[in-house]
Amino acid sequence: MNNDFKKIFTLGVWGDNPIFRQILGICSALAVTNLMLNSLVMGIGLIFVTAFSELTVSLIRKFTPKHIRMMVQVLIISSYVIIVDIFLKAYYPSMSKALGPYVGLIITNCIIMGRCESYAQNNPPIHAFADGIASGTGYALVLLLISFFRELLGFGSVFGIQVLGESWTNWTVMIMPPGAFFMLGIIIWVAKSLSSESKKDSKQEVAKA
Amino acid sequence: MKKSLIYPIAFMIIITVFFTSILAFLNYSTADMIESNENKIKREKLLYVFNIPVNDYNPQTVKSLYDEYISETQIGNETLYVAKDEDKILGYAFLIDGNALWGSLRGFVALSSDFNTILGVDFLSHSETPGLGGRIDENWFKDQFRGINISNSTGYEYIIFNPSPDGNVDSISGATLTSEAVRKIINENLNELLERAKEESLNE
Repeated sequence: MNNDFKKIFTLGVWGDNPIFRQILGICSALAVTNLMLNSLVMGIGLIFVTAFSELTVSLIRKFTPKHIRMMVQVLIISSYVIIVDIFLKAYYPSMSKALGPYVGLIITNCIIMGRCESYAQNNPPIHAFADGIASGTGYALVLLLISFFRELLGFGSVFGIQVLGESWTNWTVMIMPPGAFFMLGIIIWVAKSLSSESKKDSKQEVAKA
Repeated sequence: MKKSLIYPIAFMIIITVFFTSILAFLNYSTADMIESNENKIKREKLLYVFNIPVNDYNPQTVKSLYDEYISETQIGNETLYVAKDEDKILGYAFLIDGNALWGSLRGFVALSSDFNTILGVDFLSHSETPGLGGRIDENWFKDQFRGINISNSTGYEYIIFNPSPDGNVDSISGATLTSEAVRKIINENLNELLERAKEESLNE
C-alpha cells in the first residue's frame, strides 16, 4: 500500500511529470509564470481541482456509462474550478484579482482531464486522489521553477522581495511570453537529459500507469 | 445489444442537479461576502481617486471615511460620485470603461469641481498580463495622473505620453499596447464626459 503511494508520487513529480514528460498544461505554465506568487496560487488551485476531480471520477467510475464519461468529467472538473473561484473571491479577493481569468482557465488545463481519463477511470478512489495530488504537485513545482528564473531575471525579485541590487538590469524579455518559452524549453531539455539513463524503465512505468 | 438510452440521460441529469445545487448553495452563502469585498474595493478606489488618505484599510474605517466624504447621485443612468469636505465640493468621479489589450477595463476618474484638473485615476477591473500590462495597478503609474491640468488640452488629447513635448504621463515599458489602450480609454471617456458637462451647463 505504502509502496503504491510512493510510486504514484515519484511518477507524478518526476518520472511522469505532467509538464516535462507528458507536455500537458503548457498554456497555463507559460501564462502565469512571470510572478512566483501567481504560480504558487495557480499550483495550489490545480492540486485541489485535480485531486478532487480524480476522487469524484473514481468514486462514480463504476456507475458512469462509458460513452458519456467525458461529459461527466468536464462537469465535475468545472464544478471544482468554480468552487476555487468562489472561494478566492470570498476569502482572498486580492489574489482573485491578481489571477483574474486564469482561475477559470484551470478548467481547460489538460492535466486534469488527462489524469481523470487515464488514471482515475481505472483506479480506486484513494489512489486516484493521491495521483491528483502528485500530478498537481509536479505541475506546481515546475511552475515555481520557471517563475523563479523569470521573476529573478525579469524583475530582480523572488516572491516580490527584491533580491538583486540596483545595478541589475531587468531582462524584460523574461517577463514577456518568449521568456516563458525559453525557460520551459531549457527545463524540458535539462530534465530529459538528467533522466535519459532511466528512459527505458520510465517508459514501462508510464504504460502501466 | 442495444445501448440503453434512458440510463445515461438519467445519470447525467442526476449528476448535473447534484453539482449545480452544491454550486448554487456556495454561491448563495458567499454572495454577501463577495459583495462586501467588492464594495470595500470600490470605496477604497474612490477614496484613492479623490486623494483622501486612508490610514487603516479595515472595512469599517474605509466605510466611515467613505460615508463622511463621498455621496452618490444618479444622472440619467450613470452614477456620479461627489466628494465633499464639509460643504465644499472637492470634485466628481465617474466610471470609465473601454477595451484594453486583453479585455474590458473599468475604472474611475475624478475631476476637480471646475472640471479643469484630473484629481486621480484608478482601475476597478481589467485582464491585462500580471507583471506587464497589469502594472497599471501600481501606484507609480496611477500617481502620475494626479493634478493634470486639462483646461488647455486640444483635440481630445488630455493624456499624452512622454517624451512627446506636451507629455504628462510615462507609459509602462514592455506594456506599450496596454498603456496606449489606457490612454485612449481615459481620453475618450473624458471627452464624452466634458461634452456632456458642457451641454448640461448650456441648458441650465
